Amino acid sequence: MKTFAELNFPGRLVAVEGLDGSGKSTQIYLLKRWLELQGLKVYFSEWNSSELVKSATSKGKKRELLTPTTFSLIHATDFADRYERHLVPLLRAGYLVLCDRYIFTAFARDVVRGCPPEWVRGVYDFAALPDLTFFFKADLEVSLQRILDGRPQLKYFEAGMDLRLSSDPYESFRIFQGRMLEQYLAMSTEFNFLVIDANQLVEKQQEVVRELVAARVPLDNYRRAERPASRPPPAEPPRKSKDRERDKEPELVE
Amino acid sequence: MKRVGPSHIVVPRRTPRRFYGHGIPKVELDRLAGRLIVVEGADGSGRSTQIAMLVEWLEGGGHATVQVGLKRSTLVSEELDQAQAGNILSRTTLSLFYATDFADQIENIMLPALKAGFVVLADRYIYTLMARDMVRGVDEVWLKNLYGIALEPDAVFYLNVPPEELVQRNFAKNMSLDYWESGMDIGLSRDMFDSFMKYQAAMEETFRRLQATYGFTIVDGMRSPEAIHADLRKKISAVLGEK
Repeated sequence: MKTFAELNFPGRLVAVEGLDGSGKSTQIYLLKRWLELQGLKVYFSEWNSSELVKSATSKGKKRELLTPTTFSLIHATDFADRYERHLVPLLRAGYLVLCDRYIFTAFARDVVRGCPPEWVRGVYDFAALPDLTFFFKADLEVSLQRILDGRPQLKYFEAGMDLRLSSDPYESFRIFQGRMLEQYLAMSTEFNFLVIDANQLVEKQQEVVRELVAARVPLDNYRRAERPASRPPPAEPPRKSKDRERDKEPELVE
Repeated sequence: MKRVGPSHIVVPRRTPRRFYGHGIPKVELDRLAGRLIVVEGADGSGRSTQIAMLVEWLEGGGHATVQVGLKRSTLVSEELDQAQAGNILSRTTLSLFYATDFADQIENIMLPALKAGFVVLADRYIYTLMARDMVRGVDEVWLKNLYGIALEPDAVFYLNVPPEELVQRNFAKNMSLDYWESGMDIGLSRDMFDSFMKYQAAMEETFRRLQATYGFTIVDGMRSPEAIHADLRKKISAVLGEK
């Protein structure tokens, strides 16, 4: 598997992964704001957001109809829909795409549910790897507390109740999340996760995230073309230039 | 010596069963006592007729049957219809959507029925799903892994009818050609008739390729329904352990 940069896409994909309650969504939101405020072309995408598939997913979840295999496939379908209709075209158009969860969520979750790891990886084989993957590593208890302090109504699949780990949803959730963490840690080296200590203050984490993004992504290439606001910007190749004043010629990145 | 009458019910032998690939977690294969028979072929190849005849014959012989087909799962069949009507999904997405439908039927219909000792008759199986995708350029290795969740059937029949005849049968039945069965989404030709002929020829060729891997029985679908039925019966009898 290759990253989007290795496949010569002009865009770059940055993904965040971590347990529920690890604070990853806050961090990617702050990253998005920072990039937007610099006038960069940014697109944000969440796991489970395509409309058509949502209907089937919620039906399956409501009726508790899903098995590990259908759970896996329906999420893969959802991911493929977003991947083919949004992510790939935007990355070809030179966008910075930020993903709250990517294929690693499926790798961890489906395997915890009992699907064969090679099968799951094979199913997602059509997707390229992120250019940067941040993994927010919090102590299991810290993430659990963030979620469980509110005593939320844990949903059946969210709590991993289908795995019959415990008849108590909260206990089930704890065990499930613990197993997810093991899976994530086992993938960390293989997929070059940038591990962020999620026990730290929000600002401290964000500082590290921004530094890493700035160091590894040539952000100037992703600036919106400056044009009169009344006219919609036409599609044009992204610009590679550290010095936009001198370099007027559009050229492909890397 | 063959006796006829109520006492002559063939009790199928247990045979080892396996998945094509990684399979489905937590399935106890040796508990699947039933039989899985697949009938493949294009629309108009006579699949439904053959399946109806097989049901009659099997039930007459004391075998309980259940039927499955594509796009019949409670989970996603409605959504699949919507997606097809709008033609809005990209290739991989549609492919995975069909795989979800298939997996749902395996787990919720086929496996329980096989466990209960039924003869499961599948009106098309993974081969059609794979062939459709392969014709549209989806990677074969990817498809094989995806459909590694499928059980290897006891018998697979491919009713082979050339496109020239399929087109006649489709007109005789519906007076029209189906958009997807004509491969209109691929853009082979803007002329629907041409597109149908090209698409069905490509499907036939792909089935022959898949046959090399999966070793199913190619049946000449140009003969009378009775002659075809006799062929199927002979093979299925063997599968059921009848001499």
